[in-house]
Amino acid sequence: MSMTSEIASEPSVSPPPQAESEARAKMTSRGVEVHYGAKRALHGIDVDILQHEVLALIGPSGCGKSTFLRCLNRMNDTIEGCKVTGEMTLDGGNIYDKALDVVQLRARVGMVFQKPNPFPKSIYDNIAYGPRIHGLAGGKEELDGIVQSSLERAGLWEEVKDRLSEPGTGLSGGQQQRLCIARAVAVSPEVILMDEPCSALDPIATAHIEELIDELRVNYTIVIVTHNMQQAARVSQKTAFFHLGDLVEHKETQEIFTNPQDERTQGYITGRYG
Amino acid sequence: MTDLTHDAMAVKIGHHTSEDAQRRLRRRYAAERRFKYYGIGAICLGLGMLAILLISIGSRAIPALTQNYLTLQIEIPPEPLVASADHNYMQFVEREILSLFPEAVGDFQAQRQIMSIMPFDAAGVISERVLEDVSVLGGERIDVTLQLTDEAQAYVNGEISRSTPEADRRLTDDQMSAIDRLRDDDVIVVQDGRPVLDIAVNLPFYEVVNQSNFQSLANDALYRLFPEVEGRARRDLRAIISPGAGFELRQMILADPGLIGSSVSLEVPLSDEFDQLAKNFVDRDLPEDQRRVNDAQIAYFDGLEEAGLVTSRFNTQFFTAADSRQPELAGIWGALVGSFYTLVVTLLLSFPIGVSAAIYLEEFAPKNRLTDLIEVNINNLAAVPSIVFGLLGLAVFIQFFGLPRSAPLVGGMVLALMTLPTIIIASRAALKAVPPSIREAALGMGASRLQTVTHHVLPLAMPGILTGTIIGMAQALGETAPLLMVGMVAFITSTPEGLTSPATVLPVQIYIWSDAPERGFVAKTSLAIMTLLVFLICMNALAVWLRKRFERRW
Ligand SMILES: Nc1ncnc2c1ncn2[C@@H]1O[C@H](COP(=O)(O)OP(=O)(O)OP(=O)(O)O)[C@@H](O)[C@H]1O
Ligand SMILES: [Mg+2]
Repeated sequence: MSMTSEIASEPSVSPPPQAESEARAKMTSRGVEVHYGAKRALHGIDVDILQHEVLALIGPSGCGKSTFLRCLNRMNDTIEGCKVTGEMTLDGGNIYDKALDVVQLRARVGMVFQKPNPFPKSIYDNIAYGPRIHGLAGGKEELDGIVQSSLERAGLWEEVKDRLSEPGTGLSGGQQQRLCIARAVAVSPEVILMDEPCSALDPIATAHIEELIDELRVNYTIVIVTHNMQQAARVSQKTAFFHLGDLVEHKETQEIFTNPQDERTQGYITGRYG
Repeated sequence: MTDLTHDAMAVKIGHHTSEDAQRRLRRRYAAERRFKYYGIGAICLGLGMLAILLISIGSRAIPALTQNYLTLQIEIPPEPLVASADHNYMQFVEREILSLFPEAVGDFQAQRQIMSIMPFDAAGVISERVLEDVSVLGGERIDVTLQLTDEAQAYVNGEISRSTPEADRRLTDDQMSAIDRLRDDDVIVVQDGRPVLDIAVNLPFYEVVNQSNFQSLANDALYRLFPEVEGRARRDLRAIISPGAGFELRQMILADPGLIGSSVSLEVPLSDEFDQLAKNFVDRDLPEDQRRVNDAQIAYFDGLEEAGLVTSRFNTQFFTAADSRQPELAGIWGALVGSFYTLVVTLLLSFPIGVSAAIYLEEFAPKNRLTDLIEVNINNLAAVPSIVFGLLGLAVFIQFFGLPRSAPLVGGMVLALMTLPTIIIASRAALKAVPPSIREAALGMGASRLQTVTHHVLPLAMPGILTGTIIGMAQALGETAPLLMVGMVAFITSTPEGLTSPATVLPVQIYIWSDAPERGFVAKTSLAIMTLLVFLICMNALAVWLRKRFERRW
């Protein structure tokens, strides 16, 4: 684990400090507001998500964490009456640009949903679906390889390797969630958005996912929503605290947990409300 | 505040075990039981009605399952078959001669002129030749020598010529030039000093025999059984057998020409009145003038029955024939095929259009005023009386586009209009029932909207869509009113051969028969209804099976 973080924090070429942060901002959000009909769910969010960084989103229920997460790959487009304003970029390009191809965006920015939602197909087909539609695998063997490695990374391989042709919906809740993680990983996105990926998992599986997140960080950028403060502290480098649609604090995880600036942040992480 | 809630809680202790609570519980159970009994009662009532319906129609249908036949020993001498077709032979000669005048094709005036150089009965010689040897039918061409009219002969012999004014001779210029042409072709030759027409004609077996009177052969067989009956009384006798006898005999002989000259034993169907008599549906105690069969006929029939010549067999005709004026010959096969073609058209049109429309409206269309309006209108269309669709079909498909009347194509199109709303509504409901999380999952993987629909949503919605479609098709199968409008109510005695040949459908057939005065159609109507029901049940079973199959996947 320490190895991986070392690699991640040591880019092969080191540009000057200021330019570095600009260059490594994988995604940015400037003044993003979200309305569900007349209701405003997010009020002007400014966040930079750096490359090879894990950003944890924390905050009380209903504060807009999922909403923000869904803005990052435009899943909000699918919701009737949801309007997103402000600017959001991926590698410097505006993702709300009219010319942008959402299909490609979602292939680059993968997502694991709050509620496990495997396809009502076999376990194998669940994982193979993404590589198939994006043409990632040359042949059957390569596809088999992707399926196996994805399941291994999500820590599900041992449990399901003998029943790959059984329906994914027949797995337990926690297994389904790991299946969804494996499914997202299988298309090798650049950014992975995870909405409470561990809420249905036991401690062992959780530890496994956390390890996976650490591992994935080497190649990908990760945004994770969690209600578990320890988890946020363990896996993330940056943490953003949301409250009633506002981004209250956003800084190094270390700092936010040891030295919160805002009263609300302090109250939340010490468990006084939320 | 904590104290207060505590008190409030304390009051309620024992609340769920008190007398009152017990009584409430009992009442709740009683209500549940009552509801269950109402439900069972409703189901029993429904099943009872259904049973009464099925039993009453079914019992009336049973007589139609059998048909009585009379075994006759039928002689098939060649004479009546080949002699009764005299005028026909002239046709074959005409065909040969006109083939020498290609310019006269389609010009009936000119054709008449040419043919009038021969007397009408010139072809009588052919029937003599055929009688000598029946095997010339359908064989090689035969050479025949035919008479010419006196005028034609006179012209050939040079007794009249073109120099005579046309008004003064019985032969026109055209006829003269026709004769000249025939002489040049050596068709008109002089034999023993007399000009004759010497030509080789083709005698197709089918055409010669097809138009002969086969019924009379069957009648003759019947007369032989009652030698004492003569003259007009034979009318009563021959009413016993159905006109289908001749038809059957013709089929047999056309299939096997070798039968000519032999004698065959054939079971011919009884006509409807006597079929009813055989089934004991005729009240013999009724005064003679109130029955459709008179006393003499009953006596003939009893004689036949005593001789063991009347047999009752399963009525295959009913399931293999098309409609007929004679109940004993009528069948539903034509209507079944018509229904099949019509439904194929309906399905091919309404399923893809309906499902695509539903997918577009449900998955792609923006939700705005326009789509709301469309939705309301689709729901309204589902409630439009079906006859209106018939009128629409008449006005648009037949009068405007000029499509043929009575055709399964038009009927199917009209029914497709009628079933579209059903399919669209059912499909939309099925699509709506697919959990949105599946769509999110697919979209989140980077699937396009169409991929999301075709790979994930549609397979899940398919059972519901199929159910809706089959309900729509079942509705279409039983529909009569719109088809009456597009002419599918016609009396059609042949099984339709394609989408544009005249046809009728099962429910219309039932409607036609239920209106027919003949006794035999009463049972036939019931049997047709039972057949329709069987079909509906099959279709619904198919729906259930398809649903199971698609659901079993996951
Ligand atoms: N589809 C929707 N339509 C209308 N309002 C919505 C919708 N989704 C979310 N909201 C509202 O937006 C606000 C933020 O919701 P969001 O789901 O982002 O919260 P969250 O932080 O993810 O909460 P949780 O931790 O419970 O998942 C809530 O007030 C919610 O009621
Ligand atoms: Mg959420």
